[in-house]
Amino acid sequence: MNIQDYIESGILEEYALGVLSEAERAEVERIAREHPDVARELKQVIGGLDVYAEAHAVTPPDGMRERVLAGWQQAIRATAEQEKTIQTADAPVASPRMVVSPVSEPVAAPAQQEAVVRQLPAAEAPGRIRLMIAASVALLMLSALGNYLLYSRLKETEANLQVAQTEQSRYAATQKAALNERDQQLSVLRNEAFRPVELKGTPKAPEALARVYYNTQTKAVFVDVRNLPALPEGKQYQLWALDNGKPVDAGVLASATAAGDSIQQMKDIASAQAFAVTVEDAGGAASPTLSTMTVVGNI
Amino acid sequence: MSASTPESAALETEVLLVQRLRDRDEGAMTIFYNKYSSALYGVILRIVKKEETAEDVLQEAMVKIWHSFPSYDAEKGRLFTWVMNVCRNLAIDKIRSRQYRVGSRTQPIEESAALRQAAEPSFRPEHIGLQEITNKLNPDQRQIVDLLYFGGFTQSEVAEELNLPLGTVKTRARAAIKVLSKLIR
Repeated sequence: MNIQDYIESGILEEYALGVLSEAERAEVERIAREHPDVARELKQVIGGLDVYAEAHAVTPPDGMRERVLAGWQQAIRATAEQEKTIQTADAPVASPRMVVSPVSEPVAAPAQQEAVVRQLPAAEAPGRIRLMIAASVALLMLSALGNYLLYSRLKETEANLQVAQTEQSRYAATQKAALNERDQQLSVLRNEAFRPVELKGTPKAPEALARVYYNTQTKAVFVDVRNLPALPEGKQYQLWALDNGKPVDAGVLASATAAGDSIQQMKDIASAQAFAVTVEDAGGAASPTLSTMTVVGNI
Repeated sequence: MSASTPESAALETEVLLVQRLRDRDEGAMTIFYNKYSSALYGVILRIVKKEETAEDVLQEAMVKIWHSFPSYDAEKGRLFTWVMNVCRNLAIDKIRSRQYRVGSRTQPIEESAALRQAAEPSFRPEHIGLQEITNKLNPDQRQIVDLLYFGGFTQSEVAEELNLPLGTVKTRARAAIKVLSKLIR
């Protein structure tokens, strides 16, 4: 055989791609063992395809590692369990013989007419034994099947329970976080150092009402919305502190704050005599658009 | 002369991993996942094109690898090659088994979501990026390797699919794989 022709026949590529039959694979392996050139070439081809595979590596999404490893473990446990039940179903096939055979002995022993008495059970027994074996095997199979079904149902229940538990602890965590936030807000409202500043609606929005809590020592500012008109998409309320007539940005109001669902801590303000809220493009503006002023109030 | 070159270190971890898998050590599968998941997932995703399917196939492949591990022969090749082929075969079986098959044969592989995915960050110095491959292979070669590797086509099927003489397909495939093997580090 011409080795170069063999190498160029494309069979090594087919080997590496895994499209050869078992016999063809064995043949390639045999030739590679005999001809170092073929072995070297084969190694190159396999290595080249490995490079190609590796170049396509993609980091799996978050959480996949846990899911895949857990799924894998469950799958191999289930197979191990199945194997066990099959084994227990197989094993008893031999044992009934041992149980049954003594039964035929006592029948034969007391009788004197050995030839007659013995023959009958002997002829009858194999049939009966076979029947009993078949019955017990069938029962065991049924029981194995039942076990398997119960086992998979148990697994399912366990999985559901786990989901429920995760759900519950997630819920508890969000509730706790919400409670912490409320506690913090309450401590602001109760704190004497915070001065409430009523912001009343301008003629543009006479119904609007908000309150600012300003701590002149720590410079902390909180805003509590009672009622602000809903804004169109892309707009956001922005709080301003007025210090000697100059507006200072105190930050934009989150949508939950603007809706009155929660009070919000704003940027610290060094000094102010008044606060006002204007409507600005989402994200806030560097200076207030005075024509959109919604509420304003002096300290 | 120190023996701890990166290659020998990598070989050593592979030998240890193979030993642990042979000993049916379940913990080894976590190491296996950390070491190979991005390469395996990338190739599977490229074949099945859907993330959930790719995840299912990877899990299925790991079960298969675990059960058929006794048939892995380290003498015949790297663990990576063996497990990659298990994954590739399962993924190809998957796309051939379902309605998946309809239309996807003629659909250019370049349109797949997998190609738009960023390759994994290059923290492994031996890792070769897709860009490098694209630069080194011409489009004809790339198309053939893709059909062979990701489509599970034989060389004759590729010839039929692309309406090319079998000899041309073989020559191009060989040339392409030769280019790739020069990139082995």
